[in-house]
Formats: sequence, C-alpha cells, structure tokens
Amino acid sequence: MGIGYNTITFNQDKCDGCGDCMLACAQAKAGSDDIVHSRIQILTTDQPSGDPQASDSGAIELAMCRQCGDPKCVSNCPAAALTKNATTGTIDWHADKCVNCLLCTVGCAFGGITYNAEIGHVTKCDSCDGNPACVKVCPKGALEYNTSGSIYNRISDKDDLFVPGLSACQGCNSELLIRHTLRNVGTNVVVATPPGCIPGMGTVGYNGKTGTKVPVFHPLLTNTASMLAGIKKQYNRVGRDVTMLALAGDGGVGDVGFQSLSGAAERNEQQLFMCVDNEGYMNTGMQSSGSTPAGSWTSTTPVGKEMQGKRTDAKNMAKIMMMHNCEYVATASLAFMDDYYEKLDKAIAASKHGFAYLHVYAPCPTGWRFPAADTIEVCRKQVESNFVTLWDFTPEQGLRFTRSTDNPIKMAEYLKQIGKYRHLSEAQVEHLQRRVNDQVRSLKAFEQLTEVS
Amino acid sequence: MTAIEKTIDSTLESACQSKTLVCDGNEAAAWGVALSRPDVIAVYPITPQSSLVEYVSQFVAEGIIDAELMNVEGEHSVLSALQGAALAGARTYTATCGPGLAFMFEPYIRTPGLRLPIVASLVTRDTLTPQCVWGGHQDAMLVKEAGWIQMYCETVQEVLDTTVMAYRIGEHPDVMLPVNVNSDGNYLSYGVTGISLPAAPLVDAFLGEKNVNWHAALDPERPMAIDPLTGGAGGPGPKMFVNYRKGQTDAMQNALRVIEETHKDWGDRIGRHYSPLVEEYRLADADYAIVTIGSMTGAAKDAVDEARDRGEAVGLIKVKTFRPFPVAAINRALNKVKAIGVVDRSVNFGWNCGPLYQETIAAAQKLQRFMPSASFIGGLAGADITVEHFSEVIEDTAKLLKGHSYDEPVWINRND
Repeated sequence: MGIGYNTITFNQDKCDGCGDCMLACAQAKAGSDDIVHSRIQILTTDQPSGDPQASDSGAIELAMCRQCGDPKCVSNCPAAALTKNATTGTIDWHADKCVNCLLCTVGCAFGGITYNAEIGHVTKCDSCDGNPACVKVCPKGALEYNTSGSIYNRISDKDDLFVPGLSACQGCNSELLIRHTLRNVGTNVVVATPPGCIPGMGTVGYNGKTGTKVPVFHPLLTNTASMLAGIKKQYNRVGRDVTMLALAGDGGVGDVGFQSLSGAAERNEQQLFMCVDNEGYMNTGMQSSGSTPAGSWTSTTPVGKEMQGKRTDAKNMAKIMMMHNCEYVATASLAFMDDYYEKLDKAIAASKHGFAYLHVYAPCPTGWRFPAADTIEVCRKQVESNFVTLWDFTPEQGLRFTRSTDNPIKMAEYLKQIGKYRHLSEAQVEHLQRRVNDQVRSLKAFEQLTEVS
Repeated sequence: MTAIEKTIDSTLESACQSKTLVCDGNEAAAWGVALSRPDVIAVYPITPQSSLVEYVSQFVAEGIIDAELMNVEGEHSVLSALQGAALAGARTYTATCGPGLAFMFEPYIRTPGLRLPIVASLVTRDTLTPQCVWGGHQDAMLVKEAGWIQMYCETVQEVLDTTVMAYRIGEHPDVMLPVNVNSDGNYLSYGVTGISLPAAPLVDAFLGEKNVNWHAALDPERPMAIDPLTGGAGGPGPKMFVNYRKGQTDAMQNALRVIEETHKDWGDRIGRHYSPLVEEYRLADADYAIVTIGSMTGAAKDAVDEARDRGEAVGLIKVKTFRPFPVAAINRALNKVKAIGVVDRSVNFGWNCGPLYQETIAAAQKLQRFMPSASFIGGLAGADITVEHFSEVIEDTAKLLKGHSYDEPVWINRND
C-alpha cells in the first residue's frame, strides 16, 4: 500500500467566491488583511468561453499547492530549497537555500507556488501544520481538510484478513468495506455473513475452502443476529471476550432478517451488526428490497407502461434501529473513510456492552448501472446530496450529525450518474427530493432530543 | 471447580436426591434438562409446551439449572441462537410444537446438516387449520424427513429419562445429530403421575464429559469457515454435497446402535429399562398385532390384556424410535404375526393412511411375504383413544385374518 497524506480538498460546486479563505490565510501567514499574502487563491473565470455547451463559463477555480506526490516544483529547484516532507506530505520551502530563481513556479500547473513581490520570495501553502485556517472559515463547506489518506498508512500495518482475489464485481464497494473493517476488528472475532454479495464474493468460501482468515459462517438470510447472540452467550459463559460481527445485506437486515435483528437489539445482545446497503438483492440479480428507493429500476420493479420503477419509498433502517435505543447506531459511507473509522471504533467498543448497528451505504456499479470507476464518487454524491446522511447515536448523546446536511448539492447531480434512475420523470425526482427533505427534517428533530425511544 | 459451581451442584443434587416426585410430563422434561446440565437454553412459549419452558426458566432462576437462558422473540430465533451456541461449544436445549415448530422449520432443517447435537422436546400438537391447540402427532410427522432423531415417549417417567439419554445419543461421535424427544401434548404434557428423579452424580457419570463441537467450531483460536458454499455441476461441489449427505444418513443408521447402547447403559446405571427402538408386548404367541406410538400405548396394552382374557391371540408392537426408522427391529416383531393394525395420531395426506402405517408396511415389504394390514387414525386434536376404541381396533384387525381388507383408513373418534 502506498503512503497517503491528509489534504485540503476543494468543492467547486459549493464555492460562491466569497474570499473568506484568502483573508484568513493572509491573516494567518502574514498578519495582513491584504489577500496578496494569501497562499490560496480563488479565481473566477470572467471570460465566457463562447461555447454555449461549456459549463465553465463563470466557473470558480482554485489556485493552491496540491502537495503533489511527484512535485515538479521540487524537481525544478536547482538549490534543493523545496523538499517533500515524508512525514506530513507537505512540500516544504526552505528560505535559507532558496536562490529566488522562480523555476519552481514554472513547474507548477496549479498555481500552488507563486512569487510574492511584497516580501520578495515565493510562498506556498503549508497546511498550517494540519489545522488549515482557510478550511475553518469557509462558510459553504467548499474547503475540507481530508484526513482519510493518512488512515491508509495507519491500517496498512494491520493484517488484511480477507483473501487476495475475490469474485466481487469490479468496483465493488463491499470488498473495500470488508477489508477495512476486518483489519480494524482484528482476529478475535466471529464473522457472520448471511447469503448475499458478501458471501457470494467468497467470504465464507467455496467447496471447502475459506475466503477469510477469521472464523466465518453462513447464517440463514433470516437469523444472523440470533446465531451471533447464541455464540456470544457461550463465549461469555466460558469467560472469553470475542467480538461478534455481522456483515449483512439490506435484505438480510430490513426485510426477511428484520425479526431476529429487532429481537437481538431489544435484548441488547453484544454484537456489531453491519448493514451493507446496496438498495436491493444485487447478488441474485438486482431485485427490489425494502431498502430500494422509490423510482428505482430493479429487475422486479421494471420500467414499462404501467410501472416506472419501485412504487414505494425505502425504509430508513438506521432510524428504525435508533428507535430500538441501541448501545450505538451510526450511518457511514466509504467516501468518508475517516468518519467511517471513527464510527467503526465506537461500534466495536459499544458491541462489548450491547447491540451496535452500523448502516453503511454501498452503491453498486453492477446493479445500479454506473461505471465501476465511479463507485466512490457515487458514494460521495449520495452523501453530498443528502440522499443519505451521516450521523451517529447513543442513548446518552442522542443523535448527532457527523457531516453537515446544510447546502446539499442538487438531487439531480446525484441521480444523473446512476442508470437505475435514468427513466425518472420530473415528478419522481421531485418526490425523491421531498422524501430526502423530510428525512433530513425528521433526523434534525431527533438531534434536538436526547431521549428518542 | 469454583465455589459457584459447587453451590449449584449441591442445589441440583439436593433437588434430585433420591426423590419421588408427583408431576406432569412438562415438569419431568424440565428435570431431565436440569440433570443434563445444558449451557445455553433458548425458549419461546407455545401451548401445550409452555409450562415446560416455564419450569426450565424457574429452575434457572433458582440455580437448579446453571445455564444461559435466552428469552428470544420467536422459535426461528430460538433454534438459530442454539445453533450459534452449539458452534461455540455449548450443550443446548429448547422445546416447541405445532405452529412453533413450523416457524422454526428453516433453521430446523439445517441443524442436522450442521451436525449439531441440539436437543429439542416436541410436545406434539396437531397442526392448523382447523384452529386447534390440542395434542396430535401431525407436527412431528411433518418434519420426519428433516434429519432429526425422533423418539416418542410413552410415560411421564420416560420423558425425563429420554431427555437425558437424548444428549448422549446426539453427542455420540458416530452420530452428531439433533434429537427430538417427543411427548404427547395434553396426555403427557399435563398428565400427572409419580416419577423418580435419578441422583445427579449418576446422571453426570452416565453423560460423561461434554464435547459438543469437536468437529466444527466458530472459535478464533482455531479459525475455520463453517458451511462454505458447495456448488455447481462440473466442479467438486456436488461430490462434496453427496458425501456430506451420505455422512448424515450413515450417522442416522449409526444412531440405531447408539440408541440401543444408551438405553441399555441407562437401565444398568439407573435401573429403568426401556425398549429403545421397538417394544414387543405379548407378541410371542400372537397371531396378529396392533402397532402403536406414544402415550396411546398404555390404553392399547390394557385393551390387549382384555382381549387376551377373551382368548384373542393379539399382541402389541410399540415404536419408540421413529427416526431413524428401526426397520430391522420392527421386522423382527412383524415376523411373529400374520396381520397388523397400525394406529396413528396423524395423517398422511398423500397415501390416505397414517404415516406410521405407511412406514410399517414399507418395512414389512422386506419380509417378502404379504402382510394384511389396516390403518387406524385417531387421537387427533387431543381426542382420547380409549381402551374401548382399542378393543374395536383389535376387533377390526382380527378381521384381516379372515380375509377382510380395508381400502381406506378406519377413523377413530369420528362419532365420539
């Protein structure tokens, strides 16, 4: 695994060009209100391109150091005044070595290192030692300090407990999830994977061979939580602390698996139950489930003269589990890995005391009809559009959003990437938007409460 | 042994010490459970089993049973939780019947394939519909091909004794299969009689050391995958599947021997002897016999005695072990008579007869001689099959010797 670093990310769609970031940077780095000292520059393209189809007319762009992995500024520098910091990942500029030749500025395609005439040498972003001033002031959330890259460094030392080479579809979100989850959970675990994509890709194995380096089994589609509860009871009886982990699809969670899940949550059984929600029965050929959103094409909610995809809304399983007052409930998306890791740690800890439920949204390139390379992007837009929301819950704390639901991107931005929504009418899109707004409003109401059930 | 274990031991021991007890079959089953020292018990109540799981729960509350008690949300989860517990090494117990068994069916049919020696009492009940909460064997007969060992008890005492024996049979390395201890709803579940409790140390010695999941386990200390997919013609899957299945059927046949050995050892240690597979009653000099199963046998034996007093050369064959079906044992008995009348407390819809009748004549076919036979169906929905009813059964069976034949089953209780 390569080395990953924290980075400042910029979302063009959210930026309104207010310039607060530049002011904050100038103040932080030069003690001045003059944005000439800012190492982040927000640029507005004033000149329309003339092409009516072009979307870049009047677009906002960012000039700032990307802290490149293969930095041209560093290789251009004849004086070794620029170096890549192996620990932080930033490109460090050393004043004592700089000969002011400005070759570095020629090398950079991002406007990330520029000559500041007022002080007489180049300046560049140093990420404020991991606490960037620009990110803190951005009112639209267009700038974020993304820490997920460095997480990969932390976990790369841990054993991958899943075999290399699986029969998952290209671009599968669930394989990524399993690898990361098992790395963190470790070997002192029993893993239950009810029928679905997760065992289908070889987790339990085929013909006497296993796909996992920890104890793993097929429960029925219907009884995952009950079987884990029985295992845990016996380990408690003999005084051994073993983690119980379920990796279940949305059908084994919210449809046919719901009774045993609800019963186990009511009894506060000590287990971490994870729903990997790909909005349907993808393993068996993309049939509709209780998690399939309204309007979705599936192979059992086809599109024709009499039916235009699923007729009813998905149930919000995470909310339903919150109403069970579980030890811990959270939603997560693999586009927000740092958030996921934080929640996974909390869920593992909670499962030592009682029932922990993690609902991970898992867009499926095969079943949803989008290119395999776009999985993480679809994950991201699913969250950014509020189609799904990231939050967690404990009985003491109540519900807490872990990512703001303010200023979402347009629903259409999310839907347009996905083939299963291609046929949607305006009315259907409006329905989905209303549903999403209602869900956010309802969750926000819960945020105000500490006692939910 | 820890201090807690000692306390619990003394509780169970003092509770069972050379005791004679007046109780019903459900309480007797609970004492059998207590003496077997299970680790994990999961329960969900259903008539007429409910008082059984109430007794078990009470015993846990009092410390007579030292087990994890799981009050789960339905029979499906009951057996699922026990499967998990057994895969982690637990000795397990539950009880159910009727609609509860039907709801349990999905994990039920999987248990033998997982080779988990779970013991579950079936307090047998007729199936819906018509709506009915009363005894009958239809529930147990519906699951006879699922792969569980099934033994039908005749008396309250036998319920207790068979419950303990079930653990030794199921956990035997040559068997490793789940066991149903069947007791007739109403007649055994609520029938009160005097029984004697064996002393706990005797039962401990009889059961020996617990070793439930030596073959397969979900244990981080020896990681393995349980039940990976077998699959697909053209690969090794079908061959593996076939061999697993054959292993199951072989284990069922092994169970016949183990059931006999276990009953003998129980008799030697505890002093109560039962016919493990098939009981022969007044059969040696009989011309014909009636075949029974379960608690009806008591009244049937009385009717045979009365008929003998009248000079009828009638005997009785009782089937205790129905799964695996004891073909050799039943044929040894059938070989002694010229005609049989088989009494069922359930129906076989496909053959218009009782299931025990169908199985018995299937076995008789191996005798290679024609066995005149009649199917009697009675005791449905808790109806009583009285001595008078059995006298009629004997009379109707005797007609077979004079060339009479029956095209349809004879329905008992139809005009009660």
